[in-house]
Amino acid sequence: MNADNRKGELAELKGQLRQLAGSRAPGVEDLKRELYKKVISYLTVGIDVSSLFSEMVMCSATSDLVLKKMCYLYVGNYARGYPELALLTINFLQKDCQDDDPMIRGLALRSLCSLRVKNLVEYLVGPLQRGLKDSNGYVRSVAAIGVLKLYHIAPSSCTDNDFPVTLKALLLHDSDPQVVANCLCSLLEILSIEGNVSEAALREKESLLHRNVILSLLNRFKEFSEWAQCLVLEVVSKYVPEDAQETHDMMDVLDDRLQHANSAVVLATIKVFLHLTMSMADVHQKVYERIKAPLLTLVSSGSAEQSYAVLSHLHLLVMRAPMLFASDYKHFYCRYSDPSYVKKLKLEMLTAVANESNTYEIVTELSEYAANVDVAIARESIRAVGKIALQQYDVNAIVDRLLQFLEMEKDYVTAETLVLVKDLLRKYPQWSHDCIAVVGNVSSKSVTEPKAKAALVWMLGEYAYDMSDAPYVLEGFVQSWAEEDFAEVRLELLTAVAKCFFKRPPETVQILGAALSFGFADANQDVHDRALLYYRLLQHSVEVAERVINPPKQAVSVFAGDQSSEIKDRIFDEFNSLAVVYRQPSYMFLDKDQRSPFAFSEDTGSSIIGPQSPGREDLPSDIDARDNDLLLSAHEKEDSRAVSNGSHGYSSSKFHTLQEFTDSAFAPRSPSPTQPIRNARATPLPPAAVSSTAASPLLAVDDLLGLGPSASAEPFPPLKLNPKPVLDPASFKRKWGQLTVALTLEYTFPAQAMVGLTGPQPLVRHMQTNSVQCMASGNAPLKFFFFAQLADAPANTGFFLVELVVTTSSGLASAKIKADDSSLAPAFADSLQSALSKFGSL
Amino acid sequence: MLHCMFLLSDVGEVMLEKQWMGQQVDRSICTWFWTQAHPPGHDEFGPPRVPAVIASPTYYLISIVREGVTFLACTLSEMQPLLGIEFLCRVADVLAEYFGGLNEDLIKDNYVLVYQLLDEMMDSGFPLTTEPSILKEMIAPPNFVSRVLSVVTGGSSSMSSTLPTAASSNVPWRALGIKHTNNEIYFDLVEEVDAIVNKDGFLVKCQVYGEVQGNSRLSGMPDLTLNFTNPSIISDVRFHPCVRYQDWEARQHLKFIPPDGQFKLMSYRVKGLENTPLYVKPQLSCSEGVVRVNILVGIRIDPGRTIENIVVDVPWPPTVTTAELTANHGTVLFNSSTKVCTWTIGRIPKDKSPCLTGSVNLEAGLDRLHEFPTILVGFKIMGVALSGLKVDKLEYDNIAYRVYKGFRAVTKATCYEIRT
Repeated sequence: MNADNRKGELAELKGQLRQLAGSRAPGVEDLKRELYKKVISYLTVGIDVSSLFSEMVMCSATSDLVLKKMCYLYVGNYARGYPELALLTINFLQKDCQDDDPMIRGLALRSLCSLRVKNLVEYLVGPLQRGLKDSNGYVRSVAAIGVLKLYHIAPSSCTDNDFPVTLKALLLHDSDPQVVANCLCSLLEILSIEGNVSEAALREKESLLHRNVILSLLNRFKEFSEWAQCLVLEVVSKYVPEDAQETHDMMDVLDDRLQHANSAVVLATIKVFLHLTMSMADVHQKVYERIKAPLLTLVSSGSAEQSYAVLSHLHLLVMRAPMLFASDYKHFYCRYSDPSYVKKLKLEMLTAVANESNTYEIVTELSEYAANVDVAIARESIRAVGKIALQQYDVNAIVDRLLQFLEMEKDYVTAETLVLVKDLLRKYPQWSHDCIAVVGNVSSKSVTEPKAKAALVWMLGEYAYDMSDAPYVLEGFVQSWAEEDFAEVRLELLTAVAKCFFKRPPETVQILGAALSFGFADANQDVHDRALLYYRLLQHSVEVAERVINPPKQAVSVFAGDQSSEIKDRIFDEFNSLAVVYRQPSYMFLDKDQRSPFAFSEDTGSSIIGPQSPGREDLPSDIDARDNDLLLSAHEKEDSRAVSNGSHGYSSSKFHTLQEFTDSAFAPRSPSPTQPIRNARATPLPPAAVSSTAASPLLAVDDLLGLGPSASAEPFPPLKLNPKPVLDPASFKRKWGQLTVALTLEYTFPAQAMVGLTGPQPLVRHMQTNSVQCMASGNAPLKFFFFAQLADAPANTGFFLVELVVTTSSGLASAKIKADDSSLAPAFADSLQSALSKFGSL
Repeated sequence: MLHCMFLLSDVGEVMLEKQWMGQQVDRSICTWFWTQAHPPGHDEFGPPRVPAVIASPTYYLISIVREGVTFLACTLSEMQPLLGIEFLCRVADVLAEYFGGLNEDLIKDNYVLVYQLLDEMMDSGFPLTTEPSILKEMIAPPNFVSRVLSVVTGGSSSMSSTLPTAASSNVPWRALGIKHTNNEIYFDLVEEVDAIVNKDGFLVKCQVYGEVQGNSRLSGMPDLTLNFTNPSIISDVRFHPCVRYQDWEARQHLKFIPPDGQFKLMSYRVKGLENTPLYVKPQLSCSEGVVRVNILVGIRIDPGRTIENIVVDVPWPPTVTTAELTANHGTVLFNSSTKVCTWTIGRIPKDKSPCLTGSVNLEAGLDRLHEFPTILVGFKIMGVALSGLKVDKLEYDNIAYRVYKGFRAVTKATCYEIRT
């Protein structure tokens, strides 16, 4: 019914347009305009009006500019879908390209380039060449962008007609700044795509960073529009000045840009300043001072969206120079009207800038948020207080605050606070008396969140001496074992009951029995195993069991960081990019230098990484979780450290007790039996320490392990890899996010191998024959994500993940290796290298 | 490089799309965005629950919301984030200036104009011209006069066929040969108070953000110099591109060739104000599920002019069910769905200080208030810049005619918060 109606309307429109097409009656333009407007509004709401194409073109012979514009818009919208109809428009567009009015010439040229129909490219070259030589700047600037559009449709016809050369000439000599900017924009894009396949284009792209070009751009910098300035600044940030004097001159020219009304210009300028002075420590410090005020103004005076983007960058800077903003902490006080994503960032800033001088004020402010109406922010602010406490400024006052939170008797406040108190106690055991007195008053019934419950249970077990009713509270928990849905809590309960047993045996023995028997029957594997382990330990010898389960504690000095420093450095290189706002180095989702999507390896038949960036709930939330929850990260770390035993806080001297377990589990595969727990200690090593030259990869690997040169004579026993490992993309992505880089490796392919490496596929196939599977690969730059698995490793363990980037020009391949068991990474690196070295020699 | 832009209505409907790159972005991305920004089960008309930059499975999405219209842009490649955000802000500003406001109907009535503007503002994903005065030369705004004209003469196009001369001049924000019959220029000093009082009654933060807004109707290429009596009190200045920074650095005055029409000349911040002109003293006491409320408002420092439009908003937490609040001056409204109590005072009477009293009731089972409201206060003072900043004089050069000059100041409170 409705569709019929519409059909009727369209037919009517068609008829009316036909009538008007040839008419020269007065007022006909107005009628046309009304009809065109109707067509455009149909188009806008998504109704298919392509059936009017020929009529629209017939009516296009007009001198009225608005009519022309509407016609161009219509044609641009449908040309791609109807290439044969698009041919109809070429004629009048070409004619318009030679109109007397530069405005019409420009518009027609823009529309012509926007048709994007491959077989019409031949009609494009002529008008573009004329456009670039047009006497009017507007037309030239349209043509400069037009070249880029041509390149996207037909790269070869763009380069064959020497358009890049013409653009380069205009870039240096054109009088109109907008033309210069558009040339720069087109050239950068064309050359960076072209550079992936051609050496010459790569050199050409580098020549844009030549001193002459940079200086000519800077000399006329103020003529550029604010957007063009952003583009130029981005280019300038890649330039390395010849000497300190030049650096200072450049900064003088750009200094007032920090006061610009456009925040994009300000940020781009800051990036230039930071990069220029990277190697000049004293000036670099002054730059921080200089950029501070403009950034803070942007935070407080811009819209929420701008504040958010600027705050993300500030956060990055604060990580570099926390002292810098220490006295400006009030800028980060949350306003009631701030959206919660801004508030969250501000809380992080407050946490980051806290030091001896301002902790009191900041914690006072944060405590007010705990009574805030927004529950999510209230939680965040309590965590922030905890983080500041762990940074050990003014702990005394903070502990008081935290204990006040418990007295607020709000469920979520209590929950968050319990978790924090637990962390605090692990770091500052000396506060146990004050804390335990207050925690003892918390009714266990009011605690429902699993993490908070686990924290409370942990404290009950740990401080069973100090809390008189600890066994009885634990008994209550054990009795409601069946109702406890979270394995996390049940695990903690087992450990706590066991610890309580060592401290107060007569009162706890029965509860322990009950807990263990519940544990044996538990459906969760970990809970079951832990119960069994405790049981056997206790059977073996109570003393040994106590030494294992309830050793004397050492205060934890540093909790695991939230993001590795490697990632932070990387983000810093990407200052003023979306990656910063999104808090992920860009390699994690979108490939920076290329638009062509990753080719997915057919063998795994599924997709990861590449432009299919992780979904919002996916990776980012992992990172978030790590960011926001110190406890969790510490928890996980230790779980993996203690292998099958989940209890916390072992001092390292106690590890040998566990050796009988770990040895049997690891000895056959471990390169050095004396270091079976090394994996637990694996931390991201600074790349400089690890990255090895191609000549002596083994030596570097030895450095990593801290072995003497004598050991280097012994090669690693070859790893046995599973020839057909299975890993789904989601797990790969998760593992990649969780693991740190165990080591990096560089290898230079010999020239004859590079001949065979025109695309990713040959290497993918080659590596498969070496039991290394490809998860995803991309061309230009050649980039691979590989994985391999130990033979006879249980499902989902023993994986090695590799990111391999090959620079086509030099044949240099650099690999980042991550491993479930990082102690095996050197051995794996060895086999990887030997596999790589075999490539091309077959 | 932005691939495309969508304008979404306040229910997430696509009003308009503009593609700048060959690769078309499907409209379905808008649906994805909308479910992220307004997850089902939450306030549908509230602000989006996602930050300005998010990544979808296929694109980076940059979005801003102005007057209920969502401006959503997509990009596939890495880019400068603020370039995207700032560009969208400019689009919103330009549309608002063209249509005298921004809402769904205005956009739907002016599709063609919006397309024309977007075409000139961005090409191939890179921003070109966003200066309203230049755009107006290329594309005439839909004013009443031109509409009448087109009816009467039956043909004049809604756009001048001349190319903007400024596009290729050294003063990209101003066209050559501008003519006005009355040569006049107006400046507004607009200051906003940003203050927070904590629950102990201490002023934890108090500063002023100011803007100098200009409206120029001058012929030719006037070179203006604006002097302040006390420029030293302001800090963190940001300028319109027309302002010559060296002069500000050296002599603390503003030298510039103004754009034609309305423009924002500079913005600044004044730190460390010791007091706000108004005091607001809330007292809340809870017992047995009832919160007794007493809020006093009065003048702390007389700014010299009347404080007008005083409004006190108390957003109660959701646990509040009903409120019985009365005031000895002004009107009190309690919105039972948002739980916001709005007390409109207007001006403070001479004979008494306004006082809001009464009680609010909590949900059954709750004894006392757990989440305390943050009171938001709004007011306006005409004729005074709260920071004390004063314009000394405006000099002009390079023109032969007499200029009519006008200055105004106004102070507004937009984020004056009192925590309880």
